[in-house]
Amino acid sequence: MIRIFRWILWIAGLVILLLYPWLFGIYDTNVFVIFAIFALFSVSFNLLLGFTGLLSFGHAMFFGVGGYGTAIALSRIEGLALLPAVGIGALAAILLALILCPLLVRVSGTAFAMLTLAFGQLLYVLALKLRDLTGGEDGVGGFPIPPFTIPGVVSVDMTDPLNFYYFAMAVIILSIWVLWFFTKTPLGSVMVGIRDNANRVDYLGFKVPQTKAVILIFSGAFAGVAGSIYALFQNLISADGAFHVMTSFAPVLMTMIGGVASFFGPIWGSAIFGILDELTTRYTERVELVVGVILILVILFAPMGFVGLYRVVKEKWSSRRSNRATTEANS
Amino acid sequence: MDPTTAMYVAQGIHGLAYGMVLFLVASGLTMIFGMMGILNLAHASFFMLSAYFCFQVLAWTGNFWLALLAAPVAVAIFGIICERFLLRKVHAFGHIGELILTVGISMIILDGVKAYWGTESLPVKIPPVLHGLVNIGGLDYPIYRLFIIALALVVLCIMALLLYKTRLGMIVRGAVSDADMVSALGINTPLVFMFVFGTGTWLAGIAGVAIAPILTVFPGLADQIGMDAFVVVVTGGLGSLGGAFIVSIIFGLLNSYGIQFVSQLAPVLMFAFMAIVLAIKPTGLFGEREA
Repeated sequence: MIRIFRWILWIAGLVILLLYPWLFGIYDTNVFVIFAIFALFSVSFNLLLGFTGLLSFGHAMFFGVGGYGTAIALSRIEGLALLPAVGIGALAAILLALILCPLLVRVSGTAFAMLTLAFGQLLYVLALKLRDLTGGEDGVGGFPIPPFTIPGVVSVDMTDPLNFYYFAMAVIILSIWVLWFFTKTPLGSVMVGIRDNANRVDYLGFKVPQTKAVILIFSGAFAGVAGSIYALFQNLISADGAFHVMTSFAPVLMTMIGGVASFFGPIWGSAIFGILDELTTRYTERVELVVGVILILVILFAPMGFVGLYRVVKEKWSSRRSNRATTEANS
Repeated sequence: MDPTTAMYVAQGIHGLAYGMVLFLVASGLTMIFGMMGILNLAHASFFMLSAYFCFQVLAWTGNFWLALLAAPVAVAIFGIICERFLLRKVHAFGHIGELILTVGISMIILDGVKAYWGTESLPVKIPPVLHGLVNIGGLDYPIYRLFIIALALVVLCIMALLLYKTRLGMIVRGAVSDADMVSALGINTPLVFMFVFGTGTWLAGIAGVAIAPILTVFPGLADQIGMDAFVVVVTGGLGSLGGAFIVSIIFGLLNSYGIQFVSQLAPVLMFAFMAIVLAIKPTGLFGEREA
């Protein structure tokens, strides 16, 4: 029964996704694309925080490198197709993860957070300084956006926001599904083991640093995909938009608000965050102030986030119902 | 003295002054970490807030010395309030909760500052006594930089005396190495924590006032020094005051000579240094434990 209900829910969600642009108009569709990009970004981030217990304060570096990879490739290489361009973004992020992982996998806890923060800042500075490649403060913009082509079958114009919406959704949902699948593999279990007790995992014969490296690369690659879609969507990538500390903190906030302990928590978090952001920017300029206050309130009163809150309420509700059932059976 | 040597010496003085300011910020950060295990990401925001307080006191009274006294104390009180009413509550949720809470505090300070004082950079005048140059051994030194170095050294001496010669310092040092044991001996460690947190923010406050006339006061101040201070603390070893001191001086000099010789790559030098140190010794230069 619950299984069928769940399937109906999934299908209903998919139908809403398909009809979304017609239901809500183009402005809200664009807001939704941004939400989806950050949902993927946060889910890839939560692979580190929620599943491996590594807090990254510089996840924007993968996001940014992915975006810059795609943008630079499209502006330099004539006639590059769409999917290879996204692939180049992901590859750039993987390359960065490969370069950094010998340093990052040796540490955990606060040192990991600080190291990622430092490397994120380093890339921010580099993006501003290497003007020939990255365009300095201006960033890389105005690059051609190729159509989505399957040779001989179909060619869809991606400058149309509606088409781009479907393309972005397809890539993002596929990516999130791959990440979800990843957490269900044996390697995913080792990952949770590292979070809970790294020493024990080590004694069981698993190689902790190497596993961490694989997870880092995986997480970085999908953050890169998110950044790549972001660059395509905006047709612009800049150091302030992609590498800034606030971009690194965005997935932290979203994951905390949504709930660290669950796979889908970050998605809820980015939805709540997106709505809050829309509302606050409509009424006040002090977005950071509002976000800061919300963050402190969440940490103080709901440290497990929205999903944690939901679980507590659900547990109370079901226990009350079962209590009532037992009292009725007794009477 | 020939002009080349003069240039080297002048750059050295600049580097030392920056290193000293960096040390004032980093020492508070490393002390708070060593004792409470909290990496206070709002630390640099307290530093920036103090620079703004300094500007405000100067705007009201025009007395730099009063600002130097009052602004750090005000910031320390603010820090203590944050510790007592926010940080202490989330201690049970572990490091990640504390890190994120301090991020929240820093965001509120940043936006509050922008709302009250605006985003443009505000000038702070160097007091007339410290204005100008002084001639020592045929070389002109800017007095204010020498004053910063002297101020930092005085503060450093006071802190060292307090830490190594008094009973309170003994308790603090004990709590740094094993807070649970000190607490079991009947000492009110939460109170000591609060005191250390206040002292740490006070040190950052002094640095904020000292830097205000050089860099002017603007909201980006926190990012600029904050990042350097974090790198200092991580490289020097989390919780190690000596490490923070040595690395601060190295970074100050690296910064000023780096701008001299490889100006494009100057910001990268520091991170490169950190990466090399951490690759060889993940706990930092003088750190004894993993974070």
